[in-house]
Amino acid sequence: MTQKNNNSLNPVGKSVPRIDGKGLVTGQTKYVFDLKLPGMLIGKMLRSPHPHAKIISIDTSKAEKLPGVKAIITAKDTYGIKFGSNEFFFPQTADQQALESDKVRYIGDELGAVAAIDEETAEKALKLIDVKYEILPAVFDVMEAMKPGAPQIHSARNNIALILPTHFGNVEKALKESDYVREDEFYLPSAAHTCMEPHVCVGQFENFSDKLTLWISTQAPFKIRETLAKCLKMNLNNVRVIKLAVGGGFGGKLEMLPMDFASCLLSKKAGGFPVKITYSREEEFSFSRRKHPMIYKLKSGIKKNGTLMAISGEIYADGGGYCSYGPTVLAAAMMRIFMVYKIKNFKMTGYRVYTNNPISGAIRGFGGVQSGFAVESHMDMLAQGIGMDPVEFRLKNITTPNMITTNKMILTSNGLRECIEKATEACDWKNKKGKQKNIKRGLGIGIAADVMGSKMYKSHESAGSIIKIEEDASVYFLTGAADTGQGSNTALSQIAAQELGISYDRIKITTADTGITPFDTGSFASRVTFISGNATKLAALDAKMQILKVVSQEKNIPIEELDLIAEEVIHKKNSSVVMSFEKAVELCYSFNYGQQIIGRGSYNPKTTPVDFRTGEGNVSASYGFEAQIAKVEVNTETGEVAVLKMWDAHDIGKAINPQSVRGQIEGSLFMGIGYTLSENLQFKNGRVLNPNFANYRLPRSVNACPVESILIETIDPEGPFGAKGMGEAALLPTAAAIANAVYDAIGIRIKDLPITPDKILKALKSKES
Amino acid sequence: MQSKNYWYKSMTTLNINEKEYQLDLKGHETLLEVLRDNLGLTGTKTACNEAECGACTVLVDNNSVLSCIILAKDVEGCSIETIEGLSHEEELHPIQQAFLDNGAVQCGFCAPGFILSTKALLDKNPEPNLEEIKKSLDGHICRCGGYLKIFDAVKDASKKLNNHDTKK
Repeated sequence: MTQKNNNSLNPVGKSVPRIDGKGLVTGQTKYVFDLKLPGMLIGKMLRSPHPHAKIISIDTSKAEKLPGVKAIITAKDTYGIKFGSNEFFFPQTADQQALESDKVRYIGDELGAVAAIDEETAEKALKLIDVKYEILPAVFDVMEAMKPGAPQIHSARNNIALILPTHFGNVEKALKESDYVREDEFYLPSAAHTCMEPHVCVGQFENFSDKLTLWISTQAPFKIRETLAKCLKMNLNNVRVIKLAVGGGFGGKLEMLPMDFASCLLSKKAGGFPVKITYSREEEFSFSRRKHPMIYKLKSGIKKNGTLMAISGEIYADGGGYCSYGPTVLAAAMMRIFMVYKIKNFKMTGYRVYTNNPISGAIRGFGGVQSGFAVESHMDMLAQGIGMDPVEFRLKNITTPNMITTNKMILTSNGLRECIEKATEACDWKNKKGKQKNIKRGLGIGIAADVMGSKMYKSHESAGSIIKIEEDASVYFLTGAADTGQGSNTALSQIAAQELGISYDRIKITTADTGITPFDTGSFASRVTFISGNATKLAALDAKMQILKVVSQEKNIPIEELDLIAEEVIHKKNSSVVMSFEKAVELCYSFNYGQQIIGRGSYNPKTTPVDFRTGEGNVSASYGFEAQIAKVEVNTETGEVAVLKMWDAHDIGKAINPQSVRGQIEGSLFMGIGYTLSENLQFKNGRVLNPNFANYRLPRSVNACPVESILIETIDPEGPFGAKGMGEAALLPTAAAIANAVYDAIGIRIKDLPITPDKILKALKSKES
Repeated sequence: MQSKNYWYKSMTTLNINEKEYQLDLKGHETLLEVLRDNLGLTGTKTACNEAECGACTVLVDNNSVLSCIILAKDVEGCSIETIEGLSHEEELHPIQQAFLDNGAVQCGFCAPGFILSTKALLDKNPEPNLEEIKKSLDGHICRCGGYLKIFDAVKDASKKLNNHDTKK
């Protein structure tokens, strides 16, 4: 029997415990990492040891004879179909084969796979495969790669996979009319997602029915299904992708990797035995996806009174061997500026360039982290150039509620001003900024905005939900949304319970199984609460109306006068209780009615497509905003930067679960601190130099600083109960806030991340001399 | 040269969560491998397999130990506790409850390790201060959450356990 308690009734806005929490703290929850099926084989990928080479021949005959080897696949076993994650909008960016046939383009490029009875045998078999290569000259530097005569990686001219121009107004004229113009160049290094659960999948092919099941640790099961079906030339309905609990995604589990394809094809070739492929931590760092390193150049002009006149610039993104999500990362790195600043004259060009480095792809923030550091550092320097307080400067130039930006984004609710005001108030900006140089302490600000979805899957971005209520009043909630640990299953269940008018404890949730649940594009672009939340709200409303219809007939009360609130059917006129929820459901399933309750909801946000020739379009149906402030202390003897405290004021529309929202802000923010101060995925000749936690330094408990998160509820007109997404935004301004605070403390401006002690010491030294 | 004298090898007896297991081991298996692969105790996680992240933490005689770098045969005769041994029947252990109440768990992959290290800490130091908590959890990586809610959970667990003890 369901227990009623106050938190469970009307759960929206309350910090109810996670719906999957008990399984997580007891270790009972199963991840794909834990999955073991009868007859399961272990798969391993055959990878190129060269950054750039022609494949002359692959001889697998010795490996095939090794006892325990059950299947070996190479490009010969595939249709050679090319895939890419942004191919709907940019067909030329479908540039990767699941197993390469002619050429390898980075160290780790996949050209085959082995399935064997155990890991040891699979690894032995890999060593027995004889691949003959013709080694080609390789290029690792983004600027070198664009020069005429550089090694040609794909057919793209000068290795430029994609040029994205964004152009509005008259930048040249506006710069001439400006009182202060400055140019800056920033360098943003690569970074790794480092999900605690590595990439892992189990593929099983039913040879006789031609059906395929893939269990996978993913953020986007329906997207994986699409790519798999395409590359295997199968019908969508013969491919079933199942997500279990996922141990983190952060953008790294958004697309099909060759290992996913390989596990399925190996299973087919092995006669239907399931094949599991698990990445080691080293493979995770070296061969999954990584953040795009970027050179970010800016030239902007302002008036003496602080009015922003023009922004222009160029971005050079090192894409590595293939396109992946490069186009959308590049677009996001430019277009986020419009959500934050009112700017009429804007000209920016982004270049997504092939190199022989590992593949750059999506990672939390989608280019926004790189642009956040560059733009927000640049803005501080512009303000300083005219002697204006950086907060005052921002308040003068930020976007406002209910406006249309120059590139036609429609901003409705917008709490950016309030975010800045609340954050500066909380940290005592007026009295502390610029006034603690004697103790080497400083404050710095960064601001940012985020989308709620981005239509990356074909041209729609719909989410669907089903809510079915059985005769014992149990409530089954089916959603295609993919919780990867952020807690979206909990938030969606809260939305379902609130809208339906029942206790949160009743919800039994089934998620992200393409064979069972409705379609959902996945967890990315901070979209789940907003888009899947709206679908869920619609499904709950539909189910509720079905119940109320039966009660209305039975009691002869017009349906408009009835409502279901907190487990009771209410007569709205006098707020009297007509019957309990349980009785109402019993009635639906009684002799006279026999009415099954199955509510459905489908939601596709109203947006306009982006014209990638100009950057015009309204990519999202709502936008989220925030301001972040860092307080740092710099040790000028050792060069160490300590973050003493962070403030994050966040326009989240409405907090469905405040505890969970704060958890997301803190997690995102610490990822930002890591990127700013210590994380740096390093490469030499295309090889990752630090593919382990010992040398890739993540924030640890001893580095954790206090965070004051200020939730600003602007109640978005389109969001479910006014909610907006917020999974990514808290990472975007962190690096700039810290860099600006370092400047405030010691007058040193670092333009290339991470801000390491040696850079600080070097800068201090050159400042002295 | 691999030894062929398998038949001379005796069985290994491990005491895990107060139950005895007789295992036929080759000798080179880590405790982590035995827990996950031989016994199906998959609550203990592998995230790096090189002693750098804390996800595989278990308790051996009440000390937190990285099961990925310890051989199973070396802990014969010790009392081993994994996350599965912490809760009894339907009731969560106060530390597990505290992690849940304080929103300290996001994806959950690192949670068993953090919870067991917290138990080892609170066994030795029932009321740790923030610095002590930070230091004792330094070997664990959480990528989702940013540690603050974990600190809250440890403090809360300390309270819960101390109340529990005084009630007794």
